[in-house]
Amino acid sequence: MARTRARKGWHRYLNGVTVSTTAVAIFVLLPIYWLIVTSFKTPGAVGDNPPQYFPNPLSLTNYQVAFSQYTFGRYIVNSAVIAVIATFLVLGIGTIAGYALGRLPMRGKYPILLVLLMISVFPEVAVVAPLYLLLRDIGWLDSYQALVFPYTAFNLPFAIWILRNYMLGIPKEMEETARIDGASPLKTVWSVILPQALPGLFTAGIFTFTACWTEFLMALTFNSSNNYRTIPVGIALFGSQFTVPYGTIFAASVVSVVPIAVLVLVFRKSVVSGLTSGAVKG
Amino acid sequence: MATLGVVPSVPATGGDAATPRPAGEHDVNRKRLARLGWSFSTPAFLVIGAFTIFPIGFSVAMSLSHVNVSGSGFSLNGFTGSNYSTLVHAPQWRYALGFTVVYTIVTVLVEVILGTCIALVLERLTKGRGLMMALLLVPWSMITVISAELWGYIYDASYGVLDQIFHAVGLGQPIFLGTPTPAIVAMMVADIWKTTPFVAIIVLAGLVMLPEELYEASEMDGASGWTTFWRVTFPLLRPTIALAVLFRVLQAFGLFDLPFVLTQGGPGYSTTSLAVLGYQVMFQDLNFGPGAAVATSTAVLVLIGCLLFLKVFRAQVGEEGS
Repeated sequence: MARTRARKGWHRYLNGVTVSTTAVAIFVLLPIYWLIVTSFKTPGAVGDNPPQYFPNPLSLTNYQVAFSQYTFGRYIVNSAVIAVIATFLVLGIGTIAGYALGRLPMRGKYPILLVLLMISVFPEVAVVAPLYLLLRDIGWLDSYQALVFPYTAFNLPFAIWILRNYMLGIPKEMEETARIDGASPLKTVWSVILPQALPGLFTAGIFTFTACWTEFLMALTFNSSNNYRTIPVGIALFGSQFTVPYGTIFAASVVSVVPIAVLVLVFRKSVVSGLTSGAVKG
Repeated sequence: MATLGVVPSVPATGGDAATPRPAGEHDVNRKRLARLGWSFSTPAFLVIGAFTIFPIGFSVAMSLSHVNVSGSGFSLNGFTGSNYSTLVHAPQWRYALGFTVVYTIVTVLVEVILGTCIALVLERLTKGRGLMMALLLVPWSMITVISAELWGYIYDASYGVLDQIFHAVGLGQPIFLGTPTPAIVAMMVADIWKTTPFVAIIVLAGLVMLPEELYEASEMDGASGWTTFWRVTFPLLRPTIALAVLFRVLQAFGLFDLPFVLTQGGPGYSTTSLAVLGYQVMFQDLNFGPGAAVATSTAVLVLIGCLLFLKVFRAQVGEEGS
């Protein structure tokens, strides 16, 4: 970093950069701290005024309540099943479509790509009502497929864009060689293109999974029965109109934030590249 | 970066270039590949068509019809423009439109300015930048419903921690979510907490990719940090910032989860966004015609905004952005 001047003495540790970084970190961390700390308070202490800044005593009661009194385990299973299936569908369908739109001489593929881009930014509220009526007519309300297919459809356009961009960069020769060796088109995609596009698959996969894991409006509208609620719907509908069981909500929140946070942290390079270059190039 | 002249350049449209072959065979090959392309994209088109394009079209049709919904089914009974005229005359819709527009402008503006500042600071960080990036990704990946519940607890009137802090520093005990203006500001703060990191990450990634030499040249010319930012960094960063703005505007305009959980659109309808209004009209009042009109008009506004933005953006950055 040429622009970072060498600092001496205490200036190395205390300067504008470190002070503002710390301020940002605190602003980001404080609410998260509050979330975690509250989840470990006794249910009675959650409503204390003034609040306990450190939980004393530490208690796991909120976690027990979330999993026994409420069926939060069920919601986790529902979210996981729906998000995993939708992610695999998006990657499978998106890879061959991305390959076709990136590397095969199709006429009119630019208008198609433009339409895809527009769909991926469409506000969800514009489609929930017709989708609800459609799903009701084919008897899919309160089922896994009621969310798997809409999630797949809504996340495909962005995935196709990302995958296509990665595939544009793969040298033509590798594909030609496979074709001359007599490999079928699908086999070429599987053995030549896919390994090269792996970073793109990671990026598209993480984005799709995160989007499915966090989606609320469609899940609330299509799957409101207790057996098919996903995590966001379950958390939003905890308790009654008049009492909000914050302790239970935060215990459930901690449990559902952890897997996605770990996923995002482990693959943070893919996430960042997806947020930036993957989406702009092409 | 390929060394000039050594590596043969790969055409951007991959499939268009084929190795030299007799003309006839080339044509046949091309047609075969095009057919393959269509069959490879068919599954994607089918799913997208059935679950996004068809409902969008249906939504438009619904917004222009008399809709009858009963327990067993629904029917569209003839064309009408009444759904839209109901909308235009409803104070709720006009308020929701104004609220959504103002909310979008304020939050996106604050998030972009704050996010850019954070990115500029983090770019100078020598140690722990990876850690900070990771930290910034946590609010971004958090379920919005959870962050809404969390801020609801922080703002709570009887045991919220913010109430305590305000009281302790002598600012009285404001009611955050019970009165319209504070509720709107409180919601904006919650939004800014969750999404500024997203903007910061995009801008930071853009900053890191800028060529180092430009700064050296600017430094040698004796330009101050401020001048360097406005003359060198910002113009180069503009496409990245524009992208972040576009993403955020589209997202903010569809605002639903945060008001639905944090304030239920209240007090009154002071935090009712277009999406919340559409949901309420459709699924709480079961008024599908006007509801579809709310939803469709929101989508059309997004689309117009998107196209206008792209037009301005293209004009500004020229070929680079296309």
